[in-house]
Amino acid sequence: MSARLRVRLDASLCVGHGRCYELAPEVYGEDVEGHCRLLHAELPRELEDAARRGAANCPEGALEVEEG
Amino acid sequence: MSRPDAEKGRHRVQLFSAEYAANPHPVWQELVERCPVAHSAGAGTPVITRYEDVLAALRDPERFSSEMEGALALGTQRPMIPQQIDPPAQTRYRKILDPHFSRRRMQQIEGDVRAHARGLIDAFCERGACEFDSAFAVPLPCSVFLTLMGLPREELARFVELKDGIIRPEARENDPRDPAEIRREMGARIYQCFDRLIDERRAEPRDDTMTHLVQVDFEGRPLTREEILDISFLLFLGGLDTVTATLGCSVAYLARNPGLRRELAAHPERIPAAVEEFLRHESPVMSVPRVAKEDVTLGDSRIHEGELVMLLLGSANNDPAEFGDPSVQCQRERNRHLAFGAGPHRCLGSHLARMELRIALEEWLARIPEFAIAPGETPIYSPGIREVRYLPLVWPPPAPGQAGRDGSAA
Repeated sequence: MSARLRVRLDASLCVGHGRCYELAPEVYGEDVEGHCRLLHAELPRELEDAARRGAANCPEGALEVEEG
Repeated sequence: MSRPDAEKGRHRVQLFSAEYAANPHPVWQELVERCPVAHSAGAGTPVITRYEDVLAALRDPERFSSEMEGALALGTQRPMIPQQIDPPAQTRYRKILDPHFSRRRMQQIEGDVRAHARGLIDAFCERGACEFDSAFAVPLPCSVFLTLMGLPREELARFVELKDGIIRPEARENDPRDPAEIRREMGARIYQCFDRLIDERRAEPRDDTMTHLVQVDFEGRPLTREEILDISFLLFLGGLDTVTATLGCSVAYLARNPGLRRELAAHPERIPAAVEEFLRHESPVMSVPRVAKEDVTLGDSRIHEGELVMLLLGSANNDPAEFGDPSVQCQRERNRHLAFGAGPHRCLGSHLARMELRIALEEWLARIPEFAIAPGETPIYSPGIREVRYLPLVWPPPAPGQAGRDGSAA
């Protein structure tokens, strides 16, 4: 079985485009300023594709999906 | 059109013409392929063209500043907040403005925007024809802005006149004055209008943006009158013209591309992806200015400290190095477009704009799924911001008694 993935958010890079929570609302949420917040400390396996889709669409490169 | 000058690696580009605005893609394609830094015809301003370089500049306010001498060119008396100031001051203002323009906030006014859109379509749907700019693309964002800001909707015509006077003073009919003078006068009238609204909301708060601005705690103090005016001026200019232009560009694209139009009418759940593609491919805000704070070398070109620089969002958004085939593709897996900019100045109104565009297209396609540019007519695009100033559309009018979207016309 492959290793579990996790999402890393660099909050200092997020400026609130909101592409992640538009495209993958099951993985990414928004704080009061509209910046990204991660909804899961542990990424459930069935959300890995959604996590990747959200991360790939961040223009600031603030999100990375990597092996935990 | 651009003129290659391979020896010096310099392209001259005409960035302010109606011909270019109507068909910018060939110019953009040539620039991203051949010329990372072009120069504008006339002033010779350096123009950065590739995705990677434009993104890097947008994210680097220390080298590419938003504070510039030309900042007062749009009828303003002071720089607009927060667009024309740099971090760290800029970031402090965004902290109090971002919550008010978050996606979550915008969801609260979605119903209102939908009602505006339906009301506009009701007025012309049965005629089977309209001039899209004046009938829909201008009044929708303008009504939404007035409601959001707390201004009476009866002021719509006056605000459209003020906006056009600032953005396109040369296009005013029967007004031979110098454009700069027109802008100053219109600017003064806009300040006056918001000045009055500040007093009204201080006396009697409501649930609108002006009330937020007069009440918000800005690091332990209220915003000053000048700060509120400088923020309001930006919301006014940003909120009206850009959404109007994107609506026009999107609907003109759909009029010319029946395949996509039918796909979206049959699958409205694909409209959000289409909106992102229109923003990217059409790039209605074709470029944004910055000032170099130090000498910068890009490829063979040197940009000098203090020099004005244009970041060409349109070419960056159609750069094959980032997007592969840059044509409109709603299935695109990665769309990191820069239509709303990037970095600290990422468009404050982007969530409002996205919502307005999505709802406008949903409502339009539900009622008018088949439409085309009127035979023999040619849409006219304005230079600068790509507003489609003239977009005559025709469609098969609904049969009498079937005008309502849900059969409720009777």
